[in-house]
Amino acid sequence: MSFGKFLLKRSLQGLVVIWGVVTVLFGLRAITPGDPVNLIVDPAVDQATRDRIREELGLDQPIYVQYVDYLQDLLVGDLGYSYQSSRPVTTMVLERVPATLELAVAATVIALVIAIPLGVISGTRRNEPADYGATSFSLVGISTPNFWLGIMLILLLAVQIDIFPTGRRPVAFHDALWTFLTTFYVGDLLTWLHHIILPAVTLGTYFTALITRLTRSGMLDEYGKPYVTATEAKGIPGVLIRYKHVLRNTMIPIITVLGLQFGTLLGGAVVTETVFSWPGLGLRLIDGINNLDWPLIQGIIIFIGISYVVINIAVDAIYAKLNPRVIDE
Amino acid sequence: MTEELLRINGLSTRFFTEQGQVNAVDNFDLRIDRGDVFGIVGESGSGKSVTARSIVDLIESPGEITDGEIWYNEPDLADAVREDRPEAVDGTFVDLRRISPERRRSLRGTSFSMIFQDPESSFNPSLTVGEQIAEAVEVQRRASANPRSTRARTRSEEYSLGSFVLSSFLPSKRYVTEASRERAIELLELVGIPDPVERADEHPHEYSGGMLQRAMIAQALAGEPDVLVADEPTTALDVTIQAQVLDLLDELQSETGMTILLITHNLGVIARMCDRVGVMYAGEIVERGTLEDVFDDHVHPYTEGLLGSIPDIEGEAGRLQPIDGNVPSLLDHEMGDRCHFADRCPNAMEDCLEHPPEYDAEGSNDHAVRCVLAAQEYDERRAIPDGYFDETRPAGDKHVDPEDADEGPTVDEPQRPLEEPGGESP
Amino acid sequence: MISDRIKSNLSREFRESLLAKVGLVLLVAILIMGLFAPVLATHNPHTTGYFDDDGNAYPPMGVSYDSHQWVDGERVTYTAEPSADHYLGTNNIGQDVFSRLLFGARTSLMVGVFGTGLAVLIGVPFGLVSGYYGGRVDDAMMRVADIMLAFPSLVLALALIGVMGSLTIPIPDPFVFAGVADGMPASTPLPGTVTLVVGLVTWVWFARVARGEAMSIRNEEYVKAARSLGANDREILLKHVLPNSLTPVIVLATIQVAAIILLESSLSYLGFSGTTLSWGYEIQQGQDYLRTAWWVSTVPGIGIVLSVISINLLGDWLRDSLDPNIEGEGGGAG
Ligand code: SF4
Repeated sequence: MSFGKFLLKRSLQGLVVIWGVVTVLFGLRAITPGDPVNLIVDPAVDQATRDRIREELGLDQPIYVQYVDYLQDLLVGDLGYSYQSSRPVTTMVLERVPATLELAVAATVIALVIAIPLGVISGTRRNEPADYGATSFSLVGISTPNFWLGIMLILLLAVQIDIFPTGRRPVAFHDALWTFLTTFYVGDLLTWLHHIILPAVTLGTYFTALITRLTRSGMLDEYGKPYVTATEAKGIPGVLIRYKHVLRNTMIPIITVLGLQFGTLLGGAVVTETVFSWPGLGLRLIDGINNLDWPLIQGIIIFIGISYVVINIAVDAIYAKLNPRVIDE
Repeated sequence: MTEELLRINGLSTRFFTEQGQVNAVDNFDLRIDRGDVFGIVGESGSGKSVTARSIVDLIESPGEITDGEIWYNEPDLADAVREDRPEAVDGTFVDLRRISPERRRSLRGTSFSMIFQDPESSFNPSLTVGEQIAEAVEVQRRASANPRSTRARTRSEEYSLGSFVLSSFLPSKRYVTEASRERAIELLELVGIPDPVERADEHPHEYSGGMLQRAMIAQALAGEPDVLVADEPTTALDVTIQAQVLDLLDELQSETGMTILLITHNLGVIARMCDRVGVMYAGEIVERGTLEDVFDDHVHPYTEGLLGSIPDIEGEAGRLQPIDGNVPSLLDHEMGDRCHFADRCPNAMEDCLEHPPEYDAEGSNDHAVRCVLAAQEYDERRAIPDGYFDETRPAGDKHVDPEDADEGPTVDEPQRPLEEPGGESP
Repeated sequence: MISDRIKSNLSREFRESLLAKVGLVLLVAILIMGLFAPVLATHNPHTTGYFDDDGNAYPPMGVSYDSHQWVDGERVTYTAEPSADHYLGTNNIGQDVFSRLLFGARTSLMVGVFGTGLAVLIGVPFGLVSGYYGGRVDDAMMRVADIMLAFPSLVLALALIGVMGSLTIPIPDPFVFAGVADGMPASTPLPGTVTLVVGLVTWVWFARVARGEAMSIRNEEYVKAARSLGANDREILLKHVLPNSLTPVIVLATIQVAAIILLESSLSYLGFSGTTLSWGYEIQQGQDYLRTAWWVSTVPGIGIVLSVISINLLGDWLRDSLDPNIEGEGGGAG
């Protein structure tokens, strides 16, 4: 199979998954007890108004017609209107994406920058103090709920020693960057950085721990393979054996794990945003669930599902480039 | 006319495992002349693979070379070492056990290179074959740019983590140069791989086993080594392919005149390729000599058993299990001070309860045997009674799997310390 | 199946691994805390109003805590002294933190074990069937699994709770019933929706593992032999395929208990568990009082971390000794 065909196949599978996600959500909404009209207007409102709203929402139609309408709307990117605020859900989702994206990217960067060196040290100096340190850190890291970690960071670094803010996002990254590029004023960027550090560390710790663990055990596995001995026999520098051969091969499977963990990252973002009042998708999702605002819940989860699928196709593509065997399998 | 290239005295390699100390190679002696094809033959578990790896310096924890000298005849190296470590030099010979680890490592690829049994697992699956061969070429290219007599040679580790990181952005910082890539293609062509330009860009999984073994030979030749150690080079291959690969090795040997140390369990391969043979049993050479010595004038009952068990010279010969009894235990506390073969030997006598020295035997000058039969006739009255060893041997199920000992015991987990434990972090 | 070799591996790894021992001791301690919560607790976890004379919450033993307040434009310092009655102090509404810690362990363990059980019950048959039959059946079933994976478990759990609401099932307390724990709540609420939901969002990992095992066993000679002797698929699945997939399922189940405890704590932190006797809920309650009563959030968090660590340590031990090839979600969503 060629790389293009492989990608096409994965994309088609991805479309099926997205369709599934969309359908599951439609089903969930349909089985939710209670009359959505009550969520939009006061229950005391007269029947005529209620009927009008029902008609506007298409709720008077048979369920399959609703389903087809829903799919048609989705195809053009229309996620409907929030019960609560009557705003278009597409807008409500998109306006919250940058905040969550900033958080997720910052957490991933922190995780990779810390975890890979830590994993390498741990995997190459087995049973030395550095290894014990790294393994203990990763054990605690994967065992700590991130909301509690966030609260403890607030307690220590925002309440006891007041060096970080307790939360909120006073400025968006893209605005701060624009300010910097147009006026050379770094203040906004620094404010952004100051506010994102605690949330990013909170969200990133689990992944740091996870990647450290995977890198360590991956390197130990990899060093046991015969090709490493064969490569050593060639006489190439140790640096190349360690990084070009062993670490590279260790990271290839880790990339796919990270793709699968993308959902965990977003789930973690929901909680982290709540802890730090970080105005992202997660905070909005919690709002939506508290108000049973199904169009909003649905819109956010569809968005998350699609990103998950897209990220995983990208990951598979990278994986296939790095390890061409998978294409043939 | 012939010139000695390797002289190994008393080499001992041990593995320190949970079950105890494994004497994979025990007080091992060997001489190899330049241009020779020397074969080491033995059952699996006899320590022959560990011997090969000890010579190339690829012993990994929990294994360790504990004793012995490996004298290597290389005038340039002798000159370079003489200043700092005169004790490691004897004329043009250098004792590889007494030079610095860095210098020892710098001999890999350029002085000693190795072909492994299983080509599929001996290539990195995620890099192209061309790239991997080019790495070996590059080792040679950089080495010849820094002649051995200069100090720079041992600093061949100058390719640092920094360079590696930079190489992701700056092609000029890459370890492997364009010239090496081209040479890699030439080498692929040399070993008979069709369309070498295209195949160089393919990954190992796209090669057949035989092709990949050819590629490994190309890789081993890239460093223009003095000694090529081939560890069961054909065992993993189909019979027809085996013959082709042996032909190729033969051809390359006569062209380049390089020295080959061939490790195999297959006497057919030995008969076809080698000038001299050592028969290995329980970590030591029990009989050695020219091909004729060993095949026609052998003295040792083990050699006898090996030869008796060949179904047909070129046959598949699978695992050779010529002689009744267990493969030798290499566990130190089970080996005892006797002829290690005594428990399986049909001719064992009381005299065999002492470890026999090496006796000269009839035939060529080199013919030597570690067996009392070289010095005295078999005497039935002194024979050891049947079942004698069943009692003296400790509980039989505790044997280290000889397969493990041969490949370098892989204990439960990978326990591979790095070359430079204090190495840099990224 | 549990062979002698597996047993000897387990005990050898256990003897050699300090961490496995630490994990076991911790887990036993937490199990005891949870099981005997009504007996060990010093106060009814629901009783409020344990404050000192100034109306401050008690800090934990060995701690005194200064808080500052502005009264009529003047800065007044209140010092809260611990009370020997409340080992770990009291919370913002004056409930005994120690007692609530014990009952919280109960909730976590119940949800962890029942949720994992549910996930096994759904996931293992699903995976076995998928892997055993292969082909189109497998393709279709794996797409279903893919769809499940595209929902982050926490997010899907939230959506499901949105649908079902937060139901709890009161489980009568045998200790109170037997009269050995007077003054304790007569029943413990099991967060039913949460248990159901965590099972529904994590079964897919079991399906994947079981599928892999089924696929590898499908073509074994003895399975083929059984088939040729006329055994039907159901018998083969139950007699041959299922027992062989037990080892990785057990390892994964161990790790999943930890993951589910984290997930439960996140859900209750977000306010969706339906019970107040939960570590996550307690942490959320304390978050607003970090300045005056930091221990309210801190103590239950330590409870979570220690339980999850202990289970992860045991999971590592099982993994190292049984060496199954599994991938799992890990304890992520928290
Ligand atoms: S020394 Fe004795 S036991 Fe050993 S091989 Fe020779 S005859 Fe047999």
